[in-house]
Amino acid sequence: MDALGGKDQVVFTVGGGATETPAMARPDPVAQLVQTLGLKAEDAAEPTALVTAGDLEAVAGKLKTAGFMLMDVVGVDYGAYVQPRPQRFSVLYNVYHPYDHRRLFLRVWLRDGESLPSLFPVWKSANYLEREVYDLMGVVFDNHPDLRKILTPDDLEGHPLRKDFPIEETPTLFRDGRFIDPPTFRAGMTGQSAGLTGWRGSLRKGGTREMEPPVMPEGGPK
Amino acid sequence: MSLKDRPPVDKQSGTLPRSQMQPDHQESTRPERVGSLTAQQGSLMHTEVMSLNVGPQHPSTHGVLRLVVDMDGEYVIKVTPHMGYLHTGFEKTFEHRTYQQGVTYAPRTDYLHSFGHELAYVLGVEKLMQAEVPERATTVRVILHELGRIHSHLVFLGTALMDLGAITLFFYCFREKEAVQDLFEEVCGYRMNQGYFRVGGLSRDIPDGWADNVQKFVDSFDKHVDEYASMFATNPIFLDRAVGVGVIPADVAIDLGLTGPNLRASGVPLDHRKANPYCGYDSYDFDVPVSQAGDSQARFVLRLDELRESAKIVRQALKRLKPGPVKDPNRKISLPPRHELETSMEAVIHHFKLVTEGFHPPLGEVYVPVETARGEVGYYIISDGGSMPYRVKIRAPSFVNLQALEYACVGGQFADLITVLATIDPVLGDVDR
Repeated sequence: MDALGGKDQVVFTVGGGATETPAMARPDPVAQLVQTLGLKAEDAAEPTALVTAGDLEAVAGKLKTAGFMLMDVVGVDYGAYVQPRPQRFSVLYNVYHPYDHRRLFLRVWLRDGESLPSLFPVWKSANYLEREVYDLMGVVFDNHPDLRKILTPDDLEGHPLRKDFPIEETPTLFRDGRFIDPPTFRAGMTGQSAGLTGWRGSLRKGGTREMEPPVMPEGGPK
Repeated sequence: MSLKDRPPVDKQSGTLPRSQMQPDHQESTRPERVGSLTAQQGSLMHTEVMSLNVGPQHPSTHGVLRLVVDMDGEYVIKVTPHMGYLHTGFEKTFEHRTYQQGVTYAPRTDYLHSFGHELAYVLGVEKLMQAEVPERATTVRVILHELGRIHSHLVFLGTALMDLGAITLFFYCFREKEAVQDLFEEVCGYRMNQGYFRVGGLSRDIPDGWADNVQKFVDSFDKHVDEYASMFATNPIFLDRAVGVGVIPADVAIDLGLTGPNLRASGVPLDHRKANPYCGYDSYDFDVPVSQAGDSQARFVLRLDELRESAKIVRQALKRLKPGPVKDPNRKISLPPRHELETSMEAVIHHFKLVTEGFHPPLGEVYVPVETARGEVGYYIISDGGSMPYRVKIRAPSFVNLQALEYACVGGQFADLITVLATIDPVLGDVDR
């Protein structure tokens, strides 16, 4: 067993046998950490502490000074959850100490339309992670240097991971100006009906007759 | 020319200091006439920042990644990645599939180390369900997890060196990669996107003779790794292009949230197989290669060493492979064996309930970190008591690692950007999910 760095640094065994980390030697160091930060621990399977949006930057600054890194930012919409929750949205910050292997989740509750301070000044890794939460969950992070959509297309409206985002098929606008709805398209592909695609799978087998070009129905797309 | 020798980029204006431009830009060396231009016209020539578009369909982006690179001459001053071309909404899809069906989607995120994502998802649901995984299933999982790492690193070595112009190694790496994929195909029928693990064990037992085939593969594998090393590790052209290129110091790597080989190449020995052992990794004897250099060459060589360690783990796991069950005997989690359906009404009921509805984990939120070829993968799974997850958040290492690109490329030449992007080794399916 060799310690790399100071006394609070990694204890890293190479070879067989159980790895002894300080996390196993001390009785629940994460609970101590939560107490030191003056936070309220949540009764959960993973060590979770509740933070208010106002305290978030200060708490994150302390954790950064203690050597923690920001692993992930999780946005959750509890709008359809079975149990009542304090607010509709929750943002979880997954922080981890790369040397003594403590993990802590910071939870912030917020209403729809509320914003959070960006943690980009504290951890550079918050850049993409907050952009992802903004894109998919619609939580706005104040003072983020570059808060743009990151995963979804620019023309998609709404935030797909919200529980009220509809899951449905949408008619597709083709380049020649036709709107084709997915059921019609599928029907055309399987040869049941030419539909608006103008292409019949059954006619492809040896059929020589040219299909009529599709036309827009009266009154626009259905 | 190492990164240290290069002129520093002015972060404010984003340009190189004029006084430190290359000699051929200086007035004294400029000829009186440039082609048909007079000296006066020639002095009107100026340099300006150019934006260069790379991708989305470009072989060196290893997928569908678009980079907009602002360049001052040959030097990169800003990189802006645009991703999302492979975004298929896996996290939303998870919310509308049962827990067991989710195994199908997990491996499709990181298609090069699919077993890593599969394992992270399955371990998370097992923690939620408190399922007991039989020892044989755990051992097979370790074998496949490490073979997946070998598969991923082989693809990395071959394609990354091809980006640097070394084409030969690609064929050698892909020879072994094909052998690994044959092993995958034997055990679960698919060469990629396997979906072989189940909550509570494996979908079925390994076929007869498969362990012998794996043994044959890993016995000859160390020889092949030496072969790869001899082909590039001391090549002066490779060293010129990789040593000192894209240096990421340890504190910056932690700040950027890097994990996996990229973090260990910067000198931080974080490996979840040692730090938070899962699947009994604490009982295996293996080393975690760590390098202090933090440059592209360190990231290359570190992955080469990891290949040897993975083969070592597979050899140990094969010795432990004992006959036994591969599924949790709990009928509320695993499907009953086929022969029971003909004699037991309860088995039929369990089968029907599991197939049509799935199991119901208790309320809770879990996260299990797993060390894949790219870094920490974890599935934050929220259960509301139903048979489908309420919310699944994938901690995708490639997505976070990609942020290092903007740091490591600035100040370097354009050709170094290709090196850095290759050695960061993102999988775009993992980035976009």
